[in-house]
Amino acid sequence: MQAKELKCKVAGVGAWGSYFENWLALRALLDGAPLPEDKLKGPKPGIIPANERRRAPLPVRLAVESSWQATQDADVEPNTLTCVFVSGLGDTDLTDYMCKTLASEHKELSPTKFHNSVHNAPAGYWTISTGTMSAANSVAGYQESVSLTLLEAMIQCETEQKPMLLTFYDAPVAEILQPVLPNQETFAFSLVVFPESAEMNGTLLTAKVEQREQTNWPVLNSSCDYLGKLYAENPAAKVLCLAESLSLPESEIAMPLSVGTALILSCEN
Amino acid sequence: MKVDIIDYESCSAAGINLSALRNSLRQHQSGLIKNNIPGSDLDTWIGAVGDIASVSDLGAWQSRNNALAALGYEQGTIKSTVAGLIGKYGAARIGLVMGSSTSSIDRTEEAYTRLTNENALTDAFKQPFVHNPHAPALFAAHLTGIKGPSLTINTACSSSAKVFATGARWLETGIVDAVLVGGVDTLCLSVLHGFNSLQLLSANPCKPFDQHRDGINLGEASGFAVLQRAGDNDNGRGIRLAGYGESSDAYHMSHPHPEGLGARLSMTQALERANLAPSDIDYINLHGTSSRANDLIEGKLISELFPDSVSCSSTKAWMGHTLGAAGITEAIIAMDTLHTHVIPGSKNLETLDEALSFPIKATDEHKVCHHVMTNSFGFGGNNCTLLFSRAE
Repeated sequence: MQAKELKCKVAGVGAWGSYFENWLALRALLDGAPLPEDKLKGPKPGIIPANERRRAPLPVRLAVESSWQATQDADVEPNTLTCVFVSGLGDTDLTDYMCKTLASEHKELSPTKFHNSVHNAPAGYWTISTGTMSAANSVAGYQESVSLTLLEAMIQCETEQKPMLLTFYDAPVAEILQPVLPNQETFAFSLVVFPESAEMNGTLLTAKVEQREQTNWPVLNSSCDYLGKLYAENPAAKVLCLAESLSLPESEIAMPLSVGTALILSCEN
Repeated sequence: MKVDIIDYESCSAAGINLSALRNSLRQHQSGLIKNNIPGSDLDTWIGAVGDIASVSDLGAWQSRNNALAALGYEQGTIKSTVAGLIGKYGAARIGLVMGSSTSSIDRTEEAYTRLTNENALTDAFKQPFVHNPHAPALFAAHLTGIKGPSLTINTACSSSAKVFATGARWLETGIVDAVLVGGVDTLCLSVLHGFNSLQLLSANPCKPFDQHRDGINLGEASGFAVLQRAGDNDNGRGIRLAGYGESSDAYHMSHPHPEGLGARLSMTQALERANLAPSDIDYINLHGTSSRANDLIEGKLISELFPDSVSCSSTKAWMGHTLGAAGITEAIIAMDTLHTHVIPGSKNLETLDEALSFPIKATDEHKVCHHVMTNSFGFGGNNCTLLFSRAE
């Protein structure tokens, strides 16, 4: 069977990182604006009820904040969206906490930290905070997290003809695991996409899977050192190459997808 | 679009392969034993796979989780089926979707017990491809030679049920010609002590849906199934993925929705997608963890949604709750009834919970099934229902 071209329209974008608190600020950095002097402290998404927010780990707050922004930008009710959340590294602070505790003599784990340690904690907090009862997927793709998630969500958008929320997030890695997972940067990015048939304006994304043995992530147009480090280290921030394309009239990028395939993504404004 | 299940295999405490699992089911012989995991003194029962220890040559890929995936892949005909598909379509036209909740955290736990004096990882544990949540699909791609898109789904205990839904969608768009779906989770201190912190572990063999049930037993398993578009291959076993449902509870991170709204949604979605009525369903393999909350809520839902003609059971008393591998383990038990015509009884059920009234039996039933379902519900309120039919 011939593979279908996958198409969808971008209705909204959200973003959060140490030097940008929304998509507008990230786009300014990508366009060459100078880096703000002060680093931001972690996001505090108001959509999570206060008592839950205090206990919510950083990856959850990152994912929920940028998801919320994207739904606001798209002007949609969050609970109408089917979701795919992805992190390439997971919550290594909680992995670190659990492994340290379990390596010690007293192995009692905090029940809250244990249930927060599931990879789908951000999807859980998001659906609970917004009353979303539709499917909420939570996936992992290590260095290919971004391309695999775009593929998964665009396929779901196409086959089920439903609007989707895609959220990419990765937090700095706990010290002991840094040598194997060297990421010190904080990043989250979200897209709300609609099926191509939806009557709305928005960047048209077209994706296809091509057989290619070796594909490298495209070089960013931005020459900002901070964005370069973010793009290199943080698996979720690999989406920056798409973020740059969203502002161009027309573009095509190839992302590594698997050992034998690449995802070819074109954007039309 | 119709999706056939070309081949499937299961590896758990109830049997190293499908044939051994069928035997355990027929004999009502459980694989549960008293907890003997090194470093854990918790008073509970577990479903451990003894033969994992024989897989110790994975080098940079070594972890208990990967070892169980490798052991499972050696069983039955799965490996040769996949090799045949790679030969026919090319490795890049085969997709891979793995489900897991622990990924390889067992290995990270071990790494933390062998840190250097400076609190650094020792060389044997410097394994970037293992200490990350995508480890199951990274390893399975390495193991199988599959070069097409390879994704890991980590939605706790619904993980390896959702792999079927994703696999079916991939086939529908034609980006691949076949998908190997799988699930793997292994016993480790994180889950044992984590579930203990939530006071969910039982000190006895679990008794799903029983009046006197007092918690769950954890287990480990791996399982694989090969999916193709109907008509693309000979479907020797005559089993088809007829529908699936995926939903969220939007209620609580570790407690199911009290009225089971999310679970209801995933079951009705699966029926709608398969274009079937509740009365068409012959057998439901329930999530049935043996926790007080899950079984009460799920049992009530079944009596609300389904007529008394449907047979129901939980099979967790055979191998325990295998978490991220439970979805595919129980999907295989459910779909295999279409082949064996034997519905396993709900093991360890003596007295049905007094608050429940639905057709669940402790004894096996012999009947030709046409449509069977299985439920998987996970933390974060993540639900998935699968529906399998005989390919007519």
